[in-house]
Amino acid sequence: MSNKEPVAGYIPELKALKARLNVFVKMRWLVVLGIVAVAMAAKYLFNISFSIYPVFVICLFLLAYNLWMFMWNRRLAQDDTELVIKRAQASGYIQVLLDLAVLTVLLHFTGGITNPFVFVYVIHTTAASILLTKRRAYELTTIAVAMAALLAFLEISGIIGHVNLVGFVPVTLYHQANFVWSVIVTLAVLTYTSTYITTAVAGELRLQHLKMDLLRDQLLKEDELELQRISAEVTRLKDEKTSFIRLLNVVTHDLQAPLVAVQSCISYVLDGYAGEVVEEQKSWLQRGSRRIDSLLLLITDLLDIPRIELGQLKPEMAELSLNDVITNSLAGLDILAEKKGLKFLVELPVKSPVIFGSSRRLQQVVTNLTNNAINYTENGEIKLVLSETDDDVRFEVIDTGIGVPPKDIPRLFDEFYRGSNVESKGSGLGLSIARRIITAHGGKIWAESPVPETGRGSKFVFIIPKNQNK
Amino acid sequence: MSKILIIDDDVDLVAVEKAVLQREGYKVVIAGNGEEGLSQARKEKPDLIILDIVMPVMDGYLFADQFNKDASISKIPVVALTSYVESPLDQPVPFEVVEYVSKPIKPKDLVVLVNKYLKKT
Repeated sequence: MSNKEPVAGYIPELKALKARLNVFVKMRWLVVLGIVAVAMAAKYLFNISFSIYPVFVICLFLLAYNLWMFMWNRRLAQDDTELVIKRAQASGYIQVLLDLAVLTVLLHFTGGITNPFVFVYVIHTTAASILLTKRRAYELTTIAVAMAALLAFLEISGIIGHVNLVGFVPVTLYHQANFVWSVIVTLAVLTYTSTYITTAVAGELRLQHLKMDLLRDQLLKEDELELQRISAEVTRLKDEKTSFIRLLNVVTHDLQAPLVAVQSCISYVLDGYAGEVVEEQKSWLQRGSRRIDSLLLLITDLLDIPRIELGQLKPEMAELSLNDVITNSLAGLDILAEKKGLKFLVELPVKSPVIFGSSRRLQQVVTNLTNNAINYTENGEIKLVLSETDDDVRFEVIDTGIGVPPKDIPRLFDEFYRGSNVESKGSGLGLSIARRIITAHGGKIWAESPVPETGRGSKFVFIIPKNQNK
Repeated sequence: MSKILIIDDDVDLVAVEKAVLQREGYKVVIAGNGEEGLSQARKEKPDLIILDIVMPVMDGYLFADQFNKDASISKIPVVALTSYVESPLDQPVPFEVVEYVSKPIKPKDLVVLVNKYLKKT
């Protein structure tokens, strides 16, 4: 992995570390204020005699180095590389080490270990225990105790000077071995105990963090696998669908081709190309021809059902003008109606409704409904009405024909279902295909008989929402 | 005498169409697939092509690709005859002059259709 790779799994731990480093920088600003305040109070309020200038110099140094740490932390915040944790921990280690040194120097100028602030070392070692690894924490704890002991040793042995806090502790206190030893031992006990407790808690927290990270990674991985599995499944189903539709197309073609050839041969004879055909011959040939026609229709209709069910309409869908769809569907039908002596009325809105759909399939529905109306109406009129509301478009075919018996209405749109009062005509699939086409457009289709307004005939209605799921 | 090229793999259908059109006084040339159709079109320079869409070796779509690229034949009007319900509207064959007619077509209707494109000589 390159250094630029983000360390995804350790972000929470890293965030915590960065936040903690920032807390220490903030605390240090306050500590500087505290040192100045305490030193001034000690000197001027309690009249303890010691030189305050070294304290100010140390504070200045502390300010400067905290500024540096502040900048360092900001750089760390933008660091996204794998090494960032190591860098942050190094920063923490250096900060604690410097803080220990500053504290030791400060103590030296303010009474050495007779200054009760000598126990401030505990704060430093606790900080180290929170920030750093167990080993580093104990290392720094040992350094802290060693620094205090070294300070005491150097001052007592006279290698460096000792500042007496005159007015606060007796000058002789420094030479009482049991006092010095008790301070050092107490400090050691305090610092090591604090480090032990803190590292134990921090270690536990770190472990929980790690477990959570692992768990999260595992969950993410499982999610990803599940997603891959589903997407593979979807692809497989799509492939299956595509090959099934291809098969259907081949089946349709191969079933129809021989029938088409037979029909052409019969037509050749019927149309007189093979010599004169007498009436009786003609009527037998016509019988055969009609059966072939209905078989061709049945094949088309039967194979239409899976095509529509498999969503083959979707690629055909586009914005379309319904007035055009209806006009195109009626070619020849008006003539058929007039031949039967029926009045044929078409009511279209002035401005055509526009919907998203398959023009060819909707034409198929309109043709089917209109054809049925003409077939089952002996006299009167056929009326087609297209209208629209804000939400949907509505198409009605109203006839004055034989109507549909109430018991047949619920099953009218089932495959091969025929009204009990009609002769077999067509494939018996027309309405079930119409229902599928309208459903594929998000719409509804139904029949009413007798027509509520006139009390006779039947009315077939479909509505299609204008805002369907595209 | 106008010349018509029929490209179709169904021999019985071709036989009917050929007989009808010959009776109407047309010269009829036949090809069993798109590939043969192309070479016949180049050789015979027909006045009209009657084309089936679903054929072995080279179907109507592949035929259209090659046909359109060849300027010497691409202006010939094409009537696409098809029993393949999906073809004409799903993927229109991209001919310059084309008419779709679904099979079966009655001999009389075939004659009317052909006469629309060709003046008898």
